Amino acid sequence: MTLDVSTAAVRVDGLSRRYGATRALDGVDLALERGITGLLGPNGAGKTTLLSILATVGEPDSGRVSVFGFDPRQAVQRVEIRRRLGYLPQELGYHRHFTVAAFLDYVAILKEITGRRRRAEEVARVLAAVGLETRARTRIRALSGGMRQRLGIAQALLGKPDLLVLDEPTAGLDPEQRLRFRELLSSLPGDPVIVLSTHQADDIAAICPHVVVLLQGQVQFTGTPAELAATAAGRVWAAGERDERAHLAWRGGDNRWRHVGDNPPAGAELVAPTVEDGYLLLSHAAGWR
Amino acid sequence: MTHAGEDLLAGYAAGTVEVAEVWSVEPHLMACARCRSVLSAHVDAGRLARNRSVLMVRAALGDAGRVRGLLCRCGVPDHLLRLLGATPSLRRSWLLSVLGVLAVVTAEAAAVRYGWVRASGPARSPEYRDAEVLAPFLLVAPLLVLAGVAAAFLPTFDPAFRLAVAAPFSGFTLLLVRSVCALAAALVPVVAATFLLPGPRWLPLALLLPSLALCALALAAATVLDPRAAAVTAGVLWAVPVLLLETAHGPLPIVQAHAQFACLAVLCACAVVLLARRDRFEWGWTR
Repeated sequence: MTLDVSTAAVRVDGLSRRYGATRALDGVDLALERGITGLLGPNGAGKTTLLSILATVGEPDSGRVSVFGFDPRQAVQRVEIRRRLGYLPQELGYHRHFTVAAFLDYVAILKEITGRRRRAEEVARVLAAVGLETRARTRIRALSGGMRQRLGIAQALLGKPDLLVLDEPTAGLDPEQRLRFRELLSSLPGDPVIVLSTHQADDIAAICPHVVVLLQGQVQFTGTPAELAATAAGRVWAAGERDERAHLAWRGGDNRWRHVGDNPPAGAELVAPTVEDGYLLLSHAAGWR
Repeated sequence: MTHAGEDLLAGYAAGTVEVAEVWSVEPHLMACARCRSVLSAHVDAGRLARNRSVLMVRAALGDAGRVRGLLCRCGVPDHLLRLLGATPSLRRSWLLSVLGVLAVVTAEAAAVRYGWVRASGPARSPEYRDAEVLAPFLLVAPLLVLAGVAAAFLPTFDPAFRLAVAAPFSGFTLLLVRSVCALAAALVPVVAATFLLPGPRWLPLALLLPSLALCALALAAATVLDPRAAAVTAGVLWAVPVLLLETAHGPLPIVQAHAQFACLAVLCACAVVLLARRDRFEWGWTR
């Protein structure tokens, strides 16, 4: 599926960023519409760099970004973007002596919600959204990793942002929490632009109408999850024995070997590809190991 | 007993009835189980749950410490206190560390001055010795103030720094609020300690300007250098002259008239730089 770049809510043109000799982003062009866009890629592909630039925290070496028509290079417009932004960094630090409610209150103030009553309402709303309403008085240092991740998601939701940038939001969540997270994102009011990065192809397949695959700092694919899965059509087989010629092969729950690659194993049966298969073949084609 | 009408109870549940009617219906509800039962059918359960959550959050946010409660009663805005709560150099552990260091250098100076312990090195005149015992204090005290301010503005000390950057709240305002409060919090024990020292009576006042100049220098330098390098540079620019002067003339010249004028000049120059380059504290994408 191709988006109309001229009307996209978030536009990225020719974005590049280097860290010393490492090229984190290499001429990235993107157009993000309202709804959820999943960013898929291995470690070091440039996902975090791209998201931090979208969140106006990082700075590119070259290229342009437009968020709802605002240019982050202009100080006044950058503040306008931040007023519409909810951001969950990959490694969010916490003031561990704060209680859950106090931390959210602190972030709400940073988001210019200064009225005491409105802050309390917002904090209560996001706590309920992530299922932490009974933990308002708990100190952050006493929370489990999964709860901290939910707290991170909660702070991103403060102020009902129009643009949600979530860097690996499902990391550390148990299966039930991941399902609740999907439910939460799907039910957000106002149809915000949501861009999330993940290693979990099933998260992408479940909730993202748009997928972007980033490999070695370059966009390798944009489209729907079904289109990503379709790139592996005719290249995924199930067989009783492992075939060494496959790019990747693993034994599935049905005790049969699933092969992804161009060479069908002897006696193999062609099976329907998944988003994960499409992603694996793309990364293999890009030479990523 | 006359019961309240259903329309009145529905209006009461929705919060749309007049105040006078509220006054009449509430005492009746306290005494009438039937009307309470009718009322419950008109109450929005979701709204009740939301109100309960908000009340719980307000109660949780109201659990402030004694100092915070006192400052609130003195009229300091609630949101300002929350921002300051995330400043490491305003936390009890930091302030206790400052007091500990000050206690050591003050006690050492007092012990030497009053002959409780013998000073090392060659014998000096009593006047020179009186000034000499101040050297550790004069070296350390402004550095403690600088450390407090540096901890208030260095990104390293703010675990949620990236959130602060991505938020619309002005980075420069946040920096100023935190730095000024950290400066004040560190200056109080420093100035108090000088009253316990065997130095000249003007010493408490004489420490103010160098401390302010040092902090302003660190902040101004942070608009040009990496913030950590700026803080270290300011610290070195204090420590080196103190040590050199102490060796040649004793420690007091660093806080006497000429040095005070120099500090005032540095303070003014840094204030100008800071204002002119305040955009550098709007971290993140800045081009």
